This record gives sequence, structure tokens and C-alpha cells, in this order.
Amino acid sequence: MTGFMSTMVEAWQELRINKVRILLALLGVALSVAALTSVVGIGSLVREGIKVQSERNGGRVATLALSVNGPSTPDPAKLEKVYEGIQQRFGITTSTHVGRTQAGFQFPRGVTNVDVTIVDIGYGIIHRVPLTQGTWFAADDGQRLAPAVVVSEAFYNQAGMPNLTTSPTVTIPGQQPATAVIIGVVPDAYPQQPPAAFILTGGAAMTGMESQMSEFKVWVGEDQADSLAAAISADLQGQFPGYYAQATRMDFAAYGDPLGPAQWIVGGVAGLVLLLGAVGMLNISMVTVRYRVREIGIRRSFGATSGRIFFGVMMESVVATAVAGLVGVMLAVAVVKNPWIESKVAPGLTEYPSFPVDAALLGFGAAVLVGALAGAIPALVAVRVKVIDAIRF
Amino acid sequence: MTETAQEVESNKETLVSLRSVTRSVTLPDEQQLHILRGIDLEVQSGDHTAIVGRSGCGKSTLLNLLGLLDVPTSGELEFLGNPAERLSSNARARLRGSTVGFVFQQFNLLPGRNALDNVITPLFYAKGREFWRRRELAMDMLDRVGLAARANTMPNMLSGGEQQRVAIARALVRRPRLILADEPTGALDVETGQAVMALLDTVATETAAALVTITHDTNVAALARACYRLDAGVLSPLAVAETAGVSA
Repeated sequence: MTGFMSTMVEAWQELRINKVRILLALLGVALSVAALTSVVGIGSLVREGIKVQSERNGGRVATLALSVNGPSTPDPAKLEKVYEGIQQRFGITTSTHVGRTQAGFQFPRGVTNVDVTIVDIGYGIIHRVPLTQGTWFAADDGQRLAPAVVVSEAFYNQAGMPNLTTSPTVTIPGQQPATAVIIGVVPDAYPQQPPAAFILTGGAAMTGMESQMSEFKVWVGEDQADSLAAAISADLQGQFPGYYAQATRMDFAAYGDPLGPAQWIVGGVAGLVLLLGAVGMLNISMVTVRYRVREIGIRRSFGATSGRIFFGVMMESVVATAVAGLVGVMLAVAVVKNPWIESKVAPGLTEYPSFPVDAALLGFGAAVLVGALAGAIPALVAVRVKVIDAIRF
Repeated sequence: MTETAQEVESNKETLVSLRSVTRSVTLPDEQQLHILRGIDLEVQSGDHTAIVGRSGCGKSTLLNLLGLLDVPTSGELEFLGNPAERLSSNARARLRGSTVGFVFQQFNLLPGRNALDNVITPLFYAKGREFWRRRELAMDMLDRVGLAARANTMPNMLSGGEQQRVAIARALVRRPRLILADEPTGALDVETGQAVMALLDTVATETAAALVTITHDTNVAALARACYRLDAGVLSPLAVAETAGVSA
């Protein structure tokens, strides 16, 4: 216990005495760790942004799209019955129809054509639809006499940004004029996006909207996705002979992790940055040990064992780089969690994830490892110093 | 010899004993350089021994052997009854740390540390109370050498004599039983050198430590109670009275 404590106290004293030299050495390590941690943290943020964006487009992992195509349009009633049967047989709990159309909406400045997505409640879960205000569709929204709509930010702005707690309405003129209630607002998918809206399948029928193209999506477990896709395809095909029926994965991870290679490249660059920091630290440590040969000899004359000298020199490096690692991680957190940087790196996110703990641990662990490696070599040199020669050095 | 003196004599303990010790090194051209030849020497607690000789005669090598910094090429070296060749490097280091105090010619104070931190340094290698009370012990020792008021002064702000007194405090802070001084006055003027030697002698006597001084200064050697001359690696006793006439 005393031995360990005295080594730590000695290492701390060395750091205190040689603070300028050590600060210079640590500047490189702290910056390297900050770079490594920032790169990993930003990579994680970008990954989350891309994932969310991909999920908004293609659905969560794993989303299957069911389709039946053939010489003629399959009977919609039969198709609906078959879809229901498939959900029951395969125990699927989350599904949605997805149809797309355009409809005119009455805004204060006139009627504007809006891209409308006709969905079921499950769409919000499958596509992880983010909301900036209000709520997504609930089960009782299908019973409304005035259909509910969830609108985009551009739509909401054009409608005069009404207070959602007052259940604002918007008129849908046309052959079957109707009044819809705005219940939620989603962020625009990209800047300058034209106004868009979501409406439930029942609501669309009430207002006379007809889907120009329609698909049926189900959300299944990732590990079962491939086997379920094959089973559902076979089931569909059996019920629609003469048609081409299939269930295909639509989510971004369908063909493996698309961000994997990018992450490897980013990781490689970060590793290189850290390696440069380590080489700088090693360089300074080596020069320092040569400068301290006499001191090491004097310490040996006081009774310092070779193990104590090795551990002492290495601990100086480890204690120093651990401090630098902490500083580097704090710098990285300050950079990655900067609101401006977050908005630029992951513009699709409405809620930014907290700073990844694994990135912080990686940065700190890498700093300690660099300290141990950059300390071990000079420590070996220090141990090999011949006491008698060292004292006369 | 009085009763008390006899008691003191009988209580003496052999700290280091060298029998037929040689030390040689292999030169780059494979030739052997014999630095020490057939050294016989015994250092007991309370002894004050001086070893005089010319530069390059092997004085420092002998001191290194006495302080367990080096091992003999042949012969027997026993330190507190332990044969040196049977002690591992770490065991020798621990024994050295707890038993031997070195005073160097060039003081060898650690740069960047004030006088107090320099005196504390050997206590980092001590255990238990010695380590935990290091500041207090170091301060006491600085007080003993008359430098308590200069405890926070950096070595480069101290005079040569003061630096050597700090080095002495550092050598004595672990209460060594053997003090090895390698040309302790070599870098000092005559007057300061005499003051430093008087201090070393007083502190060594007070703590009943043995003091072995290596010097080429006959005045310094004359202060010792036993004197040896080292010439071409051969050690021979010298009557203290003769030291005045030694041409070192």
C-alpha cells in the first residue's frame, strides 16, 4: 500500500515539477483524444441522423413491403382480407397501408396542392415519425367526422401556425369538400420542402382522396426478417396464382449496415490521429528520460528498485495522459454537443442523442493506453541505466 | 582503554566486510582493466574512515562496492552479514536505501525541487511511518544542518556549502548506518569544506553511523580516525599522523 501510494505521490510530484514540459507533451495527447472522441462522437451523431432519415423513408429495421402485381389489378377487398390473414398467421402486430396522392388545401393565401400520404396508425411506429408539436394518430382518430391530419412544418407555417390545442381546422375543397383537424406537426424532411400531410385511410376515403400508388408494410423482428419474407411471399403467391407476389425488406439495413465501411474509415483516421499523438508523447518521453539519466541514478542510490523506477516513469506518463484524456473528452463533448454543430451534422434530427458514452470511454481508454505505451519504452530505458554511470552522467 | 570505551568497542557491528575483493572491467579491445586488486577492508558502526588516493586509482569504484551500487569481480563482500553476490539487484537496492547514505562531490541535488523536496526524495522509497511522516522528518534534518530557513529555496539559489549541507541532510534523512562521502569537499573552498566535514563528522557521531570518506584532500583525511591509501587498485593502511605527508 505504502509502495503504491509513494509511487503515485512521486509521479504527481514529477508532473508538478515538470509541468511545462508535460503540458507541451500533453497538449498533443489532449488534442488527439479530443479529435478521436469528436470523430467517433460526430460519427455516431451522423449515423443516428442517417438512421433516423432512413427510417423515415424506408421504415425501421426490419420493415417488409408486401406487393402483388400481375396482368390486372388484384381485387382490393381480397387483398385486404389476405393482408389481415397474413398478420394473424405470422403474429404481426404493427402494419400500415401507405398510399400517396395530391389534394388541394385551403390556406389563407388560397388553395395549394399538398402531397398527402395516406397511412394507418402503424405508419408512425414503422417510420418513427418525429413530431415537433401535437400528436400522431390514435385509434379514435378513425372515428372522427372531421378527419384528422398530421401536417409538415411548411404546411403548418402556410396555415398560419395555429395553436394546436384549439383543434384548428383546414378546409379541403374539391368534389367532396371536407374540413380536417390538424392534430400534429412533423418537421420538413429537407429544406424548402413543399407542404405535405398525413391522413388516415378512413379519413382519405371520407374526403374522396384516392391513392395513386399503394403498398402494405409490416414491421417484424430483424432476426426473423429473411425467413418471414420468404414465408409471406410464398403465402401471398399461393393466394394470388398468376400474379407476382412478394415481400421485400425496405429498411436501410436490408443489405447489411450501410454505414459500416464509413465508420471503419472514420475509425482508421481517428486511430491515425491518436497514433501521431502517441508518437509525439513517446518522443518527448524518450528525450526526457535521457535528460533524467543522472536523476535516475541518484534515485537508485537512494534505494529505488528497478521495478520502482520502471513503474515510476510509466506512471508519470499514465497519470499525465489520463488527465489529458479527461481534458480531451471534455473538449470533444463541448464540440459534439454544440447546437450549431449538431444542427449541421444531423439536420434530420429533432432530438439529439446524448454524447455517446462509448466514444468518451474510447477516448479516455485510448489516452491511458497511449500513456502506458509511451511510458513503457522510456521506463525500460530508465531501468537499463547503469547506476554508477548515471550518477556521473 | 576505559570501561565505557570497551563497551562501545564490543557493541560495534561490522557493516561491510571486503576480503580479497577485486574489480575489473573488459575494455573495448577485450583487454581486462584491473581497477581494484585484493582489497581487504572492514567498516564497523561508528567508524570514521578516510580513503585517499590519486584520481583514477579506483576510489569511487571502492565506494560503489561499499554502497552496494556494484558487485566485486572476485573475492567476498558481505553487507550486514549478507554475501553481496547472493543478493538480487532489488534486494541490494532496498538494503542500500535503508542502510546507506551517499554524499556526492557535485551534490547531485535534483533540479526543479526545493531543498525540502530534495531531502524528502529518499523517503519515497521508505515504508510505513517513514513515508507518511516524510515532510516532518525532512524538515527536522534540514534544521539539523542549519538550513530550516532555506527549506523552500531552489538549489540554484543556494551557495555551494549550503547545497552540500542539503545533500548531507538528504543522505542522513533515513538514518543510515553507513554514510559514504565521495569527495564531499571537492567542489567547495577550504573553509566551507572544513565546515561541511565537521558537520558530517558531528552528525555521523551523533547517529552512531559509520562514515567513509573518499578524498584526495589530506586535510579532510586527517579528520578520520582510520585512514587508508589506495594506489593502483591496492589498499593499504595509513597511520593518521602520516596523512599530512601523503601526496594525493
